[in-house]
Amino acid sequence: MQGQFILPLILGLPLLGAILVMCTPRAEASLHKGMGLGVTIITFLVSLLVLRYFNPREAGMQLVFDVEWIPGLGAHFKTGIDGISIFLVLLTTLIVPLTLLGTQKSIEKHSREFIAAILVLETGMLGAFVALDVFLFYVCWEVMLIPMYLLIGIWGGQRRLYASIKFVIYTMVGSLLMLVAIFYLYVQAGNVTGVYTTELDKLSQVALPQSAQFWCFAAFALAFAIKVPLFPLHTWLPDAHVEAPTAGSVILASVLLKFGIYGFLRFAMPLFPHGAAIWAPVIAILAVVGIIYGAFVAFAQDDVKKLVAYSSVSHMGFCALGIFALTAYGISGSIYAMLSHGLTTGGLFLGIGFLYERRHTRRLAEYGGIWKQMPIFAGLYLIIVMGSAGLPALSGFVGEFLTIMGTFNAGDTFPANFPNYLPYPRLLGALAATGVIFGAIYLLYMFQKVFFGKLDKSRNGHLKDLSGRELAVFIPLCLGIFLLGVFPRPFLRVMEPSVQKFMSDYRIRVQEPDGPAHKYGAMTPVEPMNPGAADAAPAAPTGGAQ
Amino acid sequence: MIINPADFGYIVPYLILVITGLLLVLAEAFYKGKDRTALVSLAVAGALAGAIASVVLYRQVAPGARVTLFGEMLFADRTGYILSALFCVATALTALISPAHQREHEWQLGEYYGLLLLSASGMVMLAHAANLVTIFLGIETMSIAIYVMCAMRRRSRRGNEAAMKYFLIGAFATGFLMYGMALLYGAAGTSNLLRMQSALAATSNPGLVIAGGFLLVVAFGFKIAAVPFHMWAPDAYEGAPTPVTAFMAAAVKAAAVAAMMRLFGLALGGDLLPYGRLGWASPFVVIAAITITLGNISAIRQDNVKRMLAYSSISHGGVLLVGICSLGLGAVSANGSLIYYLIAYTLSTLGAFAVVIYVGSRGNERTLVDDWSGLASKHGGAALAMTVCLLSFGGMPPTGGFFGKFYVFKSAMEVYDGQLLWLVVIGILNSAISIFYYLRIVTAMYFKEPTTPFTPTKSGGLIFVMALCPLLVLEMGIMPGFWLKLVGG
Repeated sequence: MQGQFILPLILGLPLLGAILVMCTPRAEASLHKGMGLGVTIITFLVSLLVLRYFNPREAGMQLVFDVEWIPGLGAHFKTGIDGISIFLVLLTTLIVPLTLLGTQKSIEKHSREFIAAILVLETGMLGAFVALDVFLFYVCWEVMLIPMYLLIGIWGGQRRLYASIKFVIYTMVGSLLMLVAIFYLYVQAGNVTGVYTTELDKLSQVALPQSAQFWCFAAFALAFAIKVPLFPLHTWLPDAHVEAPTAGSVILASVLLKFGIYGFLRFAMPLFPHGAAIWAPVIAILAVVGIIYGAFVAFAQDDVKKLVAYSSVSHMGFCALGIFALTAYGISGSIYAMLSHGLTTGGLFLGIGFLYERRHTRRLAEYGGIWKQMPIFAGLYLIIVMGSAGLPALSGFVGEFLTIMGTFNAGDTFPANFPNYLPYPRLLGALAATGVIFGAIYLLYMFQKVFFGKLDKSRNGHLKDLSGRELAVFIPLCLGIFLLGVFPRPFLRVMEPSVQKFMSDYRIRVQEPDGPAHKYGAMTPVEPMNPGAADAAPAAPTGGAQ
Repeated sequence: MIINPADFGYIVPYLILVITGLLLVLAEAFYKGKDRTALVSLAVAGALAGAIASVVLYRQVAPGARVTLFGEMLFADRTGYILSALFCVATALTALISPAHQREHEWQLGEYYGLLLLSASGMVMLAHAANLVTIFLGIETMSIAIYVMCAMRRRSRRGNEAAMKYFLIGAFATGFLMYGMALLYGAAGTSNLLRMQSALAATSNPGLVIAGGFLLVVAFGFKIAAVPFHMWAPDAYEGAPTPVTAFMAAAVKAAAVAAMMRLFGLALGGDLLPYGRLGWASPFVVIAAITITLGNISAIRQDNVKRMLAYSSISHGGVLLVGICSLGLGAVSANGSLIYYLIAYTLSTLGAFAVVIYVGSRGNERTLVDDWSGLASKHGGAALAMTVCLLSFGGMPPTGGFFGKFYVFKSAMEVYDGQLLWLVVIGILNSAISIFYYLRIVTAMYFKEPTTPFTPTKSGGLIFVMALCPLLVLEMGIMPGFWLKLVGG
């Protein structure tokens, strides 16, 4: 198959750009910004090549690039994409240049380091999305941490020191426990198969004992739940968002949060299906709590950025709920909601950034009647707000609808004795649906406070409407929101084979009987105690991996 | 004892270090003029020659082979040679960062370089030790030189305090070491490490083995500053001249670990002692867990960069103890993981202390964290180098420190099917604590406004080390395959 070079290329381009930028003189701010923009746009264009080589009917990994990285450890530099990750990769490569374009003016100091940090961050993010090796994933996951820490700490707001350290410590604690689970899995899988490797597909052939899966999934889930962020592990998010510069907020909301959900889908659930089954009710309930709690807290905020940050808690709750409903609708909906959230929340933060550059405040009370001053901005922002609130024909609707439907029907697809039976799926679905209503309320409240009403603050009287550069940021976002909302079918069709494969793999794995670590399907069926009864119970499912 | 003349070929690195060391002492005596930092070139040349000789011999010895020399007093094997190469390189790097510090802080004594190389020769002996006697000799050769080096700044009260403390505690630890060795010898009837294990297993007096093993644990606990035997370390590290501190934190600790690898990995390895399931490792795993945690927690409270690095080095000693435990308990990859960790740790330490030297100048060491505020805006390279080294300490990928920790904890997972899982969890969670105080320095350097401007200490050697160490640390993290092959992991 063609096109293996694309994924390493889009990983390498931003990194190369970062190195080049660091080699330029310190004072050339416009050069740095131009280089950053150029590199990220080229990366985006190259990443579009993925579409050319990607076969949407195939379920497995495509464009796989595999070289041995650390022979002694069995770690591979192995990348590939499937229907689950392809749009997330494209979302990342799209959001980063838009972010750079949108925040050109707001970075005044250390522009060189700023661009380099963003570019390294992009490499880390793309790497984590395409990694097919647990070790590579972990490395990329941690590589994302330091640039984000620097973004918050150097270019952030008043309480940036506190927020940046909080962000790092929170994320580190989660990911370190994940590392322990990786160790455990690595050693166990090596003992079973005789080959020590960190490749994902080899590791996911090994079934751990269920008690071990319980703990390993918990360790992975902690890392991912902090990233999502799932209630009650979300407290780092408002701080990080509020203190981060606009670019940091946009990337954090649009891309970084997605790793929580993506990590569940790609790593935690395939590797520890029984663990996922045991934990699914807990996570689903936390997700619903997060949906409602996030919405209520968002409504109470006076700081626009904080409002949008809590709206992320609420929206990402949908994504978490969708995957743990474990229906094809739920998972497709979850991925779709991630894409929509990436575009809309990125747009919301960028818009706040535009306003902040003009007015240097984020308090709702300081605004009002902006529509008259900035009609174009208000119109475009309305589209983004509506997309986020889930208005039909815009992007948010499709994802949330599918998620809720998937949750609602979770009980129909699985019998009640199935290992991952979700308790009260209809109740959970109904409760989550209220989150959509609350979402509309707080987002419209915010929109109304900012754009409608009387233009009674004198300092709002001379605001200029969007410049060409800012339009160039908003128009692609709005087009994307429309596209995702009106034509969901092409996107869903690409996801479908991979989602179906995920589901069928999961079903096979989760029916594997408990036992010491072994390969799936390798366990001999349990011998009946009474030899005479053997005929009465023929062909008990042994895992079906044969 | 039969001495085979061919054996001398195997100890060329050792001979080079001893001869250069003695030459340096002599040259010092005949040297005219006050500033004797010029002797550094001879010291670096000697150390590098030792390193090259080690590498050459490393390639001559087959993997896994173990030649015994001088009536089974020394081993010639790959582990020994790679460690001696590491010690020689660490010595050369220490020598390179020293002259600038000597000039800026006015202690241009020439004996320093002679002592440095003689101390290194003791380390090389430890790397090859095959007998209790050579272990003892190596430790003493190494330590006595270090005691003097600590006190090199004669007018500095803190320096004298550091040297005195280090010397008294070191002498005390030597007593434990000697006594422990005597008891083990009494139980085994041999001082040879290879034959000791079977002899100890067959001994009729297990009480002696337990007592001897325990005394050795205490002695080495002092040497690598494991909690609760660590009290001397922060004071000694803070008071000693910074290049000496770097040498102590990097090479001396590594050499003590090398000795422990021989002693606990070979002589006391396996299920030898009837003391719990883990044998002698039962106290060790507890000490390791406490050392990692307490070292890190104490480091959080430090405002002095040197003290902070001292406590951080204590906690790294704990991680090394984890590796020693898994080595003694038979984990296959423990040997390689320990060496890898030592390489990464030594390089990061030397890099970090090189930056500490860079920041201080003209008698003012500027070791408070506040003194480092805004370092990045004027001295971006130094801040970047420090950041890389600190991230490596904290175990963030893609640095050598991350892979070192990864390998050590991976080998610990191999022990008795995950018996040490709790220790791995503690060790890994400590990375989060440690990253907190490492980031305090990074935060000061990058996020705070610069304080009063200053002229840093500059010299070619210093800048070279500041550039080389972070680069190597990064290289070890991004492409660890080469190093893994080197350590045989």
